[in-house]
Amino acid sequence: MNTHLKSGWKETGIKSVWLATALIAASVVVFILGYLVLTSIPIFFETGVSGFLFNSVWNPTGVVPSYGIAALLIDTLLVTFGAMIFAVPLGIICAVFLAYLAPQKVRDIVKPAIELLAGIPSVVYGFFGMVVLCSLLQNVLDIPSGFSWLAASILLGIMALPTIVSVSEDALYVVPKDYTEASLGLGATKWQTISRVLIPAAASGISAAVILGMGRAIGETMAVMMVAGNAAVIPSPIWDVLSPVRTLTATLGIELAEVASGSMHYYALFGVAAVLLLITLVINLISVRITKKIQSGGSVFSIPAQIKKILMLCGMIFAVCILMYALGIIPTLILTVIVFGLFFLRRIMSHKSIERTAFGIIYAGTFLVIGILFVILANIFINGIPAISWEFLTTAPRNMGLEGGIYPAIIGTLQLVGGAILLALPIGIGSAIYLHEYSRNNLLTRLLRTGNDLLAGTPSVVFGVFGFAFLVIFLGWGVCMLAGMICLALMVLPTIIKTTEEALRSVPNSLREASLGLGATKWQTLKKVVLPSAAPGILTGTILSIGRAAGETAPIMFTAVVFSKRFISMDLFDPVMALPFHLYVLSTSVPGSETQQYGTAVVLICLVMAIYLVAIVIRKRFQKRLL
Amino acid sequence: MVMNRKTMSIVGVAAVIFAVFLVFASGCVSQGEDAETITLAGSTTVLPVAQTVAEIYMDQHATADIQISGGGSGVGATAAKEGTANIGMLSRELKDSEKEGSNLKEFVIAKDGIALIAYPTNTVSDLTLAQIKDIYQGKITNWKELGGADMKIVLIGRDSASGTRSFFTEYVLDKEDAASTMQEYSSNGAVQQAVAQTPGAIGYVSLEFVDDSVKAFTLSGIAPTVENVINNTYGLNRPLLMITNGEPTGLAKKFLDFILSDEGQNIIAENGFVPVNV
Amino acid sequence: MTSILSTKNLNLSYGSKQVLYDIDLPFEEKSVTALIGPSGCGKSTLLRCMNRMNDLIPDCKITGDILYRGENITKSDPVLLRRKIGMVFQRPNPFPKSIYDNIAYGPRAHGTKDVKILDDIVENSLKGAVLWDEVKDRLHESALGLSGGQQQRLCIARTLAVNPDVILMDEPCSALDPIATTKIEQLILDLKKNYTVIIVTHNMQQAARISDITGFMYLGKLIETGKTELIFSNPQEELTERYITGRFG
Repeated sequence: MNTHLKSGWKETGIKSVWLATALIAASVVVFILGYLVLTSIPIFFETGVSGFLFNSVWNPTGVVPSYGIAALLIDTLLVTFGAMIFAVPLGIICAVFLAYLAPQKVRDIVKPAIELLAGIPSVVYGFFGMVVLCSLLQNVLDIPSGFSWLAASILLGIMALPTIVSVSEDALYVVPKDYTEASLGLGATKWQTISRVLIPAAASGISAAVILGMGRAIGETMAVMMVAGNAAVIPSPIWDVLSPVRTLTATLGIELAEVASGSMHYYALFGVAAVLLLITLVINLISVRITKKIQSGGSVFSIPAQIKKILMLCGMIFAVCILMYALGIIPTLILTVIVFGLFFLRRIMSHKSIERTAFGIIYAGTFLVIGILFVILANIFINGIPAISWEFLTTAPRNMGLEGGIYPAIIGTLQLVGGAILLALPIGIGSAIYLHEYSRNNLLTRLLRTGNDLLAGTPSVVFGVFGFAFLVIFLGWGVCMLAGMICLALMVLPTIIKTTEEALRSVPNSLREASLGLGATKWQTLKKVVLPSAAPGILTGTILSIGRAAGETAPIMFTAVVFSKRFISMDLFDPVMALPFHLYVLSTSVPGSETQQYGTAVVLICLVMAIYLVAIVIRKRFQKRLL
Repeated sequence: MVMNRKTMSIVGVAAVIFAVFLVFASGCVSQGEDAETITLAGSTTVLPVAQTVAEIYMDQHATADIQISGGGSGVGATAAKEGTANIGMLSRELKDSEKEGSNLKEFVIAKDGIALIAYPTNTVSDLTLAQIKDIYQGKITNWKELGGADMKIVLIGRDSASGTRSFFTEYVLDKEDAASTMQEYSSNGAVQQAVAQTPGAIGYVSLEFVDDSVKAFTLSGIAPTVENVINNTYGLNRPLLMITNGEPTGLAKKFLDFILSDEGQNIIAENGFVPVNV
Repeated sequence: MTSILSTKNLNLSYGSKQVLYDIDLPFEEKSVTALIGPSGCGKSTLLRCMNRMNDLIPDCKITGDILYRGENITKSDPVLLRRKIGMVFQRPNPFPKSIYDNIAYGPRAHGTKDVKILDDIVENSLKGAVLWDEVKDRLHESALGLSGGQQQRLCIARTLAVNPDVILMDEPCSALDPIATTKIEQLILDLKKNYTVIIVTHNMQQAARISDITGFMYLGKLIETGKTELIFSNPQEELTERYITGRFG
């Protein structure tokens, strides 16, 4: 009897530990949102909510300060929209290639390669964009400056591609083979099968992919800051893709460090952060709803055929009107003729040639995506390897980073990442354990999961804003390693929770039942059976998080880093140098440092990619053994 | 599926090698006992010369660690006030709102001119203050209106934390706003880089950022040089400040004394600024 | 009765493993032929040769002829072939679309766009599969909402919609309950008025109930074939007799 009671207490105690971690994880996002909104209240008293949202003049330090974010909001939407136009078609094309057209060997190489694209830190993309993309645009289009909406959209599109490809491909890959057999058995061609049956069947997964990609684009800070020109204007006319633009995230990145705390500008920036967080939350919630709806078998829009036809006709007329306004009558007429011509061609083409054309486009698209990856990496490595030397890797910077090396930055990055993982692992794994092994389907669990989803969608710069206001200023810690570690930990927490949960899910229930059936307690089952089985999956998640944390700039920009530091220190309340931040400052503020910029980029990429490669290899071995 | 021994031992070996690297390399740069650390933050105009002076100081004092970051004069004021940095760097006067409620001490360490720069092959060479004002307010939009090529003017400026911008706004724009199409960059270096890459650009930077990659305009015939700042013929100049919260002590005091000493001021002069004490 | 479809000397191997040996089998028009035999004897593989579904498997090599209306189909376009030789699978596999869209899928893929024509095809196919009365009021609802038996009849209707000559059925009832099975068997007896049906089944009673001709296969060889009543009452080969009396497989 005694032992029974004892183990009862112990089990409850352990369960509470997991519950506590889950609560911490979920409440963080609420706390952050609450803190941001509360801090931003003064601005809403100053300008009113509609004044804040709909005034298009953002000039907080002007002679007559103006705090209207309409231009920033619209610019954010425009840039994201442009990025999606670029990334969604290409992404789905690549996904179709990987899931249905690529031989297994090709898939084994290309899929990890595209996932590697996801590993390139955003500041490296920004750097590449600044140095290569913008000059390219400037020269090719013969325009005064390449820093524009177009550059930002292309860059963000490239950055969103890996997410869209990966998630779409997963969705396409698991569509039951039955559908393929049925379709082919009815005499449809392979392309017809793909386009009419398989892609619609994977619709929920593909929508999830697109929305995830969109979330990534909206929340991106560094890359946009470096290529968009950062003028807070609405392009005029609105389709002028060559106009400079400034997004909500860039505004935070540029202005937060410099604002006087307690000034109206400060509150306005918090208003910006709150709006940004709200937008990502809304998108997240919408995506969950859409995914659920599609999965439950209903089509999202079930419209009778007649209405569909009328809508399409209206849409076409609308598009033609806009084009006429934008391009003039003659180009529009030419465009219309071409489009109709293509349409007509499609009708008279045989199914075989339609298929050939479709596959040709798919191959071309995939080559394009791989080509982009190749160009970016080649450019950086070719230019960066010459900068690498023993001195570069092991000494501190001198002369504004033009001489000496980046050793303190390497160490600083490792310190930040190490601390972040130490903080995030226990909470993340604990949360996942609670959610998967203990929770029932009640309100609390739903709240916890929602909190988690929202945390996952939060832009990294918001963590930086929160960390700056709360840890650096409010708690008085100053710019220090610990603040940076906490922000990074918050950022990777959702990834750890998600991958741990998946790892736990992949452990067959029969193992748990066997253990419990032998009289073991839940904790013993966890400790001895479930966790060891799930260990590789957890490890993969950890490694992915390390990679992500190593490459992020926005969360540490205001909270942990200085540009130059001579000594390494282990004091948590000292600031550090970090590779991504070093690259950012070199490329934006230190002219003549191209070699060092490339060198830093190479070291950063090597570090991050090595980490990602390890994760991919582990995952592959894990998957092979399951089969 | 547990991790087998082989994998674990490989991971273990890798970790050990890495730790050894850390220890070995960190031996080159670790701090000794009796170390002192101060942080400086603020103006990107002051940053390069502060960095140079700091490096020379650190070479002479092996236990001193001087950490420097930028952010703009606004950051310098805030950081000093809030205590997140020991010394703030500014390229403008302190605003009343910043002086309010704090005990900030100011030290003028140099004077600096602001040059208007453009792409090296721009055919226009001379501008008046009035023309510059019109350009930055969007009233003149093409170089041909100034006798140059038929090219749109691309406005490059600084972000709102910048002391350089503050000064520019007050002195050149008469405290009015610049055109909203002005691209904003976060440092002198960034402005210089942007102008050097953009054929139609015009920008403003601290004197020490003028080099062969850009062309500097003469202001009603006066060239932006250190001499012309000293003899006050080039009017676009301002004092560079270092500020502390209360009287400076310890390493901060020693550093400030060093900058204001002959040796320090010589370094300042060598870097294209106008010394104040020599 | 003419043989609309026949194989001559058909051999098939996956890589180095041979699975079918010298199959010579004619199929009579507008009749039901059943292929029976123990698991792994190759009957499904043989069935899938008829509409070139084996093409989907890499490493699959076929020698010999398969003649459809006199033409050797190993050389012709599989896509066009499958419009004439349709297939119903073991597990019902309706698309995640509406009932209407499932049936109309085949004709649409082949180029039919006229809504009136499609409406007629859908109605006729569903009537032909004895499903029309049960679903005529919910044609635009998801096909996944139907029961297992209804789904399989839907799949049959879907196959009918492309107007084939031959319908191949690969153990169509093995995933269904007895009542649904009976319905399908009655449907097959009905279908043979207009179509040639070849059905693979491991249920001998089913073969005896519905087929005109039965072929018994064992380890990739066609052991015996003939009229169903004769095969079941008086088999010629000893292997056939042992299988039918249940002494193995």
